[in-house]
Amino acid sequence: MELVKKVLQGDEGSAARLISMIEEGLDEGYEAVSLIFPYTGKAHVIGVTGGPGAGKSTLINRLAASYGRQGEKVGVIAVDPTSAKSDGAFLGDRVRMKDAERVKGIFIRSMAHRGFPGGIAKATLGAAYVLEGLGKKVIFVESVGAGQTEMQVSTICDSVITVLTPDYGDEIQLMKAGLIEIGDIVVMNKMDRTGAAEAAEDIALHLAGRKDNDWQIPVLTIQANKGEGIEKLIATLDLHRRHMRDDAQGKFVRKERMKRLVLALFKEEAWGTLLNEVRAKEGFAGIMGKLQNREIDPYRAVRMILKLALPKKERKTARRSKRA
Amino acid sequence: MGTQKKIKVLIAKPGLDGHDRGAKVVSLALKDAGMEVIYSGLHRTIDQIVNIAIQEDVDVIGLSIMTGAHIPITQRLFQKIREKGIGNKTVFVGGVIPSRDIPKLKEMGVSGVFPGGTPLAETIKFLQSTMLKR
Repeated sequence: MELVKKVLQGDEGSAARLISMIEEGLDEGYEAVSLIFPYTGKAHVIGVTGGPGAGKSTLINRLAASYGRQGEKVGVIAVDPTSAKSDGAFLGDRVRMKDAERVKGIFIRSMAHRGFPGGIAKATLGAAYVLEGLGKKVIFVESVGAGQTEMQVSTICDSVITVLTPDYGDEIQLMKAGLIEIGDIVVMNKMDRTGAAEAAEDIALHLAGRKDNDWQIPVLTIQANKGEGIEKLIATLDLHRRHMRDDAQGKFVRKERMKRLVLALFKEEAWGTLLNEVRAKEGFAGIMGKLQNREIDPYRAVRMILKLALPKKERKTARRSKRA
Repeated sequence: MGTQKKIKVLIAKPGLDGHDRGAKVVSLALKDAGMEVIYSGLHRTIDQIVNIAIQEDVDVIGLSIMTGAHIPITQRLFQKIREKGIGNKTVFVGGVIPSRDIPKLKEMGVSGVFPGGTPLAETIKFLQSTMLKR
């Protein structure tokens, strides 16, 4: 494919176009990904997650500039949310990446999540492959920033940084499932604020002794807007990268994450197909009507729709495979 | 697999002008109309704006200019667009634009000019119908 050839030769415009094709779900786009895939798997893909305003873009700005100064070719995919009301999106992460933009050879792409769950977009992984095909050796993925449920970012990244600020909450927040479980490295940003050192220590204590697959999650304090703590963070990222490449447990984690991602992508595709099919079926409107008239409850409506969507035989297979 | 063609717009602030309320209001209106809007932030050079437009693969570039330098800025933009071979982008201009300059801008290749006070619906409708024609 001509477009793929151009991407592999380093043509930015072709890479940008290809990412759009993947976003739009065009078959051509997916075919191109298959052709690029053999050239991928060597870049260090670094996820950055954390709540809104924690400093994710600002941190990527600093990290990308630092890697760039070391001569690394850097790519960035910055995901922001799609409006559930209008389907539109305001993508504003570039505003904070002006230092990174000055680095030679950097490629930054904003991306709306378009309803995909887990903090990234369906096309984010494909875009990461395209950027690696383009020659990028370090690729940042900035998650949407919704917080606790952004598990999916870890499935496409080698290393994930969780960005917290001193006002993250208290130990109760850390005990909840989510945020702190996603990351491989925790950074406490805005270390100039009061309570930052104490907050970092609390988190370190909370994580102490909870080694996950041979990796002890480190807690670093930084001030992203001033560039403080960045060099140490890069050293820690290198350490984690080696862990994921060389350590048996690290390799295992990588494989497990890949599996989880494919299941999530499958769920997304299957859901779209199934929904279109069942909507067109006779009986669907009737179920919805009964539901709206409160003749049946929502759970019953779901079971009825499922029956309509998957005829009996296939449904049995589906159940069995779930148990397996 | 499902296909989806969204209108992607870059809203850019070129040059020294530090006022971006207008650019933000337009950005939000386009977002609410279902478009994907990338905002450049302040003080961008034309080289940067064209570079962003390439990497983001946008359909539309919207310039917000309030400095009075809309003629040379737009000229420079089209020069760079031709240089980089991305002549397929639709360009519109907003901000403080005297009506006597509108024909000049259109002659350069600007598809729409929307000075301050233009109803947002007009800009939205313009972009939607331009994209439909493509």
